[in-house]
Amino acid sequence: MQVGLKIWRFNSRTGERELQEYEIAAPEEATLLDCLDIVKDQHDGTLAYRKSCRMMICGSCGMRMDGAAVLACKMRMYDIAQSGHVPVISAMGNLPIVKDLVVDMDPFWQKFNSVNPYLQPGYEEPPDGKEHVISQQRMNVVHKEALCINCGCCVSECNAMEADPMFTGPQALAKAMRFVGDPRDGQKLARLEKLNGEHGIWECTRCYFCNERCPKGVDPRDAIAKLGAESMKEGIDRDMGAKHAKWFVTSARTTGWLRETELVPKTQGIVSAIKQTRFALDLARKGKVPPPFPPHVAKDVREARRLHDLVRDQGRNGFAGIVQGEHALARLAHGHSGTETLEEIYDRPGAYHRPFIADEEADV
Amino acid sequence: MRKVAYYKGCLASLSAKELDSATQALAPKVGLELIELESVTCCGAGDIHEAEPDYYLHLNARILSYAAAEGVDTLLTVCNVCTLNLRQANFMLLGDTELRARVNENLVAVGVPAYEQDVDVRHLLWEIAEGEGYELLKGAAHKGLKGLKIAPFYGCQILRPSKIQGFEDPDRPWSLERIIQACGGEPVDYPAKIKCCGFPIIQAREETALSELIQPIEQAYEAGADAIVTPCPLCHLSLDAWQSKLKKSTGRDFNMPILHLSQLVGVAAGLTESELKFKRHVVSVKPVLEKLEA
Amino acid sequence: MEATHDVLVVGAGCAGMRAAIEAHDAGADVGVISKLHPTRSHSGAAEGGINAALGNAAEDSPEIHAFDTVKGSDYLGDQDAIEIFTREAPGDIYQLEHWGAFFSRREDGKLAQRPFGAAGSPRTVFAADITGHVLIQVLYEQLVKRDITVYEEYFAWKLVENDGRCQGVICWDLLNGGLKTVGGKTVVLATGGQGRIYRTTTNAYACTGDGAAMALRLGLPLKDMEFMQFHPTTLYPTGILLTEGCRGEGAYLINSEGERFMKRYAPNAMELASRDVVSRSEQTEIDAGRGINGSVMLDMRHLGAERIIERLPGSRELSMTFAGVDPIYDPVPVRPGAHYHMGGVETGNDGETELTGLYAAGEVACVSVHGANRLGGNSLMETITFGRRAGRAAAEWALSNTTVDVPRSAEADAERELKALLDVSSGERAWQIRNDLGTSMLENFGVFRRDEQMTTQVEIIAGLRERYKRGVVVEDKGEVFNSDLTQAIELGNMLDLAACMLQAGVARKESRGAHARPYDYPDRDDENFMKHSISRWVDGGPELSWKDVRYTKYDPMERKY
Repeated sequence: MQVGLKIWRFNSRTGERELQEYEIAAPEEATLLDCLDIVKDQHDGTLAYRKSCRMMICGSCGMRMDGAAVLACKMRMYDIAQSGHVPVISAMGNLPIVKDLVVDMDPFWQKFNSVNPYLQPGYEEPPDGKEHVISQQRMNVVHKEALCINCGCCVSECNAMEADPMFTGPQALAKAMRFVGDPRDGQKLARLEKLNGEHGIWECTRCYFCNERCPKGVDPRDAIAKLGAESMKEGIDRDMGAKHAKWFVTSARTTGWLRETELVPKTQGIVSAIKQTRFALDLARKGKVPPPFPPHVAKDVREARRLHDLVRDQGRNGFAGIVQGEHALARLAHGHSGTETLEEIYDRPGAYHRPFIADEEADV
Repeated sequence: MRKVAYYKGCLASLSAKELDSATQALAPKVGLELIELESVTCCGAGDIHEAEPDYYLHLNARILSYAAAEGVDTLLTVCNVCTLNLRQANFMLLGDTELRARVNENLVAVGVPAYEQDVDVRHLLWEIAEGEGYELLKGAAHKGLKGLKIAPFYGCQILRPSKIQGFEDPDRPWSLERIIQACGGEPVDYPAKIKCCGFPIIQAREETALSELIQPIEQAYEAGADAIVTPCPLCHLSLDAWQSKLKKSTGRDFNMPILHLSQLVGVAAGLTESELKFKRHVVSVKPVLEKLEA
Repeated sequence: MEATHDVLVVGAGCAGMRAAIEAHDAGADVGVISKLHPTRSHSGAAEGGINAALGNAAEDSPEIHAFDTVKGSDYLGDQDAIEIFTREAPGDIYQLEHWGAFFSRREDGKLAQRPFGAAGSPRTVFAADITGHVLIQVLYEQLVKRDITVYEEYFAWKLVENDGRCQGVICWDLLNGGLKTVGGKTVVLATGGQGRIYRTTTNAYACTGDGAAMALRLGLPLKDMEFMQFHPTTLYPTGILLTEGCRGEGAYLINSEGERFMKRYAPNAMELASRDVVSRSEQTEIDAGRGINGSVMLDMRHLGAERIIERLPGSRELSMTFAGVDPIYDPVPVRPGAHYHMGGVETGNDGETELTGLYAAGEVACVSVHGANRLGGNSLMETITFGRRAGRAAAEWALSNTTVDVPRSAEADAERELKALLDVSSGERAWQIRNDLGTSMLENFGVFRRDEQMTTQVEIIAGLRERYKRGVVVEDKGEVFNSDLTQAIELGNMLDLAACMLQAGVARKESRGAHARPYDYPDRDDENFMKHSISRWVDGGPELSWKDVRYTKYDPMERKY
């Protein structure tokens, strides 16, 4: 098939950028990475990009296609080529470009290192020297976070990091959750304290680009939410973000609806809120600051309050409250209902032969 | 007329009453009969999900349950954040019978009906961007938006995560553009239309949030937009109310009017000021309306 | 010189990182050179698991593990090494678990173990089907914890021999450009395999045998070069690996009629016979016309969606992405593909090589634990156990107050050679030779080997080496991220190694393990060939000799599965 590509080249010596177009012949099964190889081998040996495993596990080939971070080895090009679209290929975002499609990953790894990305054992070694005995269910708390291949696709499009490059970012925070949720780790509270710092979890702006881009289903935003929930459960709630979140809980169980007007003082404290007075007055004039009295109370709000107390006593808040939904949400990602019987699968139209063993009458 | 349960959420009940008013007025024109839910609370706005996630799940299950109790199959939302929170909770319950049973047990224990009959959570945007709603919209938008250049601003949570939202390609959405065109307006394209407005951290990390907020406003401004339209009242609040803060940090005064989706379609459908309540906006919508009248 | 270390590890996959950690913990100052960031190493692509006789799933012992490994090796494995290996493996697994490795668990909370090919007991510890990924992550975490210096994206080009010792490595700094010399009192090679010699392979682009080629050029012996393992389940058409864990979990291999053909080749073990046996059976089916597009089918349908999603999610993702097939509903086309090189730099049981100060571990090395055929799950284990041993030995030697001296002449020679490489302005590009090598190796030195094909291949390789010597054009003359340059150097490495492989293959006139000659020497010949082949580079070409297998107590017998 014929494939067209427009590639943003970057000359490291001169700092010049240039959009170059290539037209190549590629086999039908070709991925974006295969196409780049053809460009490099046969058209322009100076093209630079990273690659290694070509099977979505090494995390080398993160780059942007039409502005969205992808693993080049995961992108089959057939449909795109058939549609006549010529995609624009460029380096990942939020990281300095070194050459063409190669970015400097150093800032990425610095953030990775900043979360103490290793187990800090919290148990005595098992007396028999063997493994810790832990249920799979308990380990599954960090199952998704353990899938991360450090490719940087989440970081590439992180809106908060774009606005503040100091933000710890989705990859490092997901890595942090990998240990916060690991029952073998003994530094959970210290980790959470640190992650509640200025550039920690509460700087996430919930744009969900990280979940959208992650090629491995890590869902970093969900990991950040788990860290927030676990912090709150442990009483680490001094950050304005935590106070903000807490006020929603208070609102829901008292009036049912958000008590908007009190949100600012409850989040920022009275002093900061007063500094915002002029801004608030401007808004008030437009009805954007609804009077807190009489409160706008939802009907049957008693139910919401009782529900709160009942659920709190069941002890499933913290990361467990988010993890409990992952099994169901994973079904969306798997795109599979899992309802067919084997007979139905074997009998599907166009199904491949049933397996059998020669000389044995019954099916295996 | 199709009956749907209507969940207006916090903002449309409070600081963004104009959204509720415009939506209520618009609904019959696009074939929707809204059954307003009364015994419902905040969805948690992502905050309760992060503070007390089990409570988040139960609060949303309660909303879903009261929607189902109305005997309808659709719960209509008018907010990105409500849509994501409700859809996420819904999928958690629909895909896990054990979890749903436990949640239902808790609901019943406090006097809420169990969530038995499944409902689908859908944003107004999706109802009028295709199908019958879209056909009716085309007919209703007789007054048109002629000559107006409108910048669609999707925000985040109506698009992402797409495995939960899934209505359209999160990188190349089309629904707002289609609606703007159906109303006779001219959609303006700009990269930040799918990015974050900064709202979730506008109090906790104002500086970071404002660096996000300026992008859509500046880009829409430079693309010559007369106004921005958004399907989310939280985006609306930051784009409209916090816009003045950009002046302080950048020295630039964009004066970019921000319309709720229901208002934009409402203008095209000839709804009145008493229904659209533009007076409640911080940035005046007057220039847009005047241009339209001219 | 850029810097010097007590122990310099070349390569940062499982073996390299494990060696670095051990050397550090033994008190040495350690540096690690890698042409990729450590977590990009190809160990991370290992899927199915890692073997140790923990006995969690059924009765097992290091002795049974050793027996299975010796038998699997077709009696070419060195038995003392295998006994050390199987004895120390369980402790190494527990240590990984204590470091935080995310292994799959049993109901009772202990580590789960799955059945694997030719194993007498379910002894493969695993993490779903991303075991290598989990190990790479945990080892890198331990590297970070120890703050070990890593020279990332340094392409190791030349080992420095001085004063009868290996004393450092000359590298090309990929990210910034320029030759950089890093000294080491001892050097541990852990550069992995060379599957890229073949056109379709499970191996990453990075697997180009750099370490083995560097050692070869220093005159060191390579062992058992003829033994390239063909993995039975690689995806058509890309060659991407689907783990043996699929069959461990119960998947069938079926031919174009739906028949579980393994019944005819290995009536007891069926799909879980050893890899050489299964690959030959598949190739026989395909050659007899009972394949589809040169493939057979891996059928997982009967495992059910839940089990596939829980235990084999990566395999499902690979099948869907690269073959367009969802294994829940349809069988996946697979065929034998070049996967693992049993041979490599000859080492002793502590990774020591013939050259003082140089050690090797992992796929680049040949201890030999795997002999003529490696068992699935043994290679990850080898990287850990022998990586640790090599790291320990290298540290102990280095800590005996040795100094490091890299003569300026070595660097000057490298500068000159580099300039010559970059100065070639006309001629062919490296990829043409690389493609010819890959295609011809697949054709002439695959699962079944014919004498005349091997002879032809010897000539083809000679011709390719001649073309390479005339010079290939490196179009990128720049300093920054010049992968055009490193790919040209990698090709040179692969060509020399291929020459060794073929010479040994022609000379081994028997069928043993992965070296199958059904047309002229269909049987194993213990009398003449229960010996390792040894390849050395002499006067610009390979020279072959033989060496006895180290034997303890496992008598050769017929292999039946």
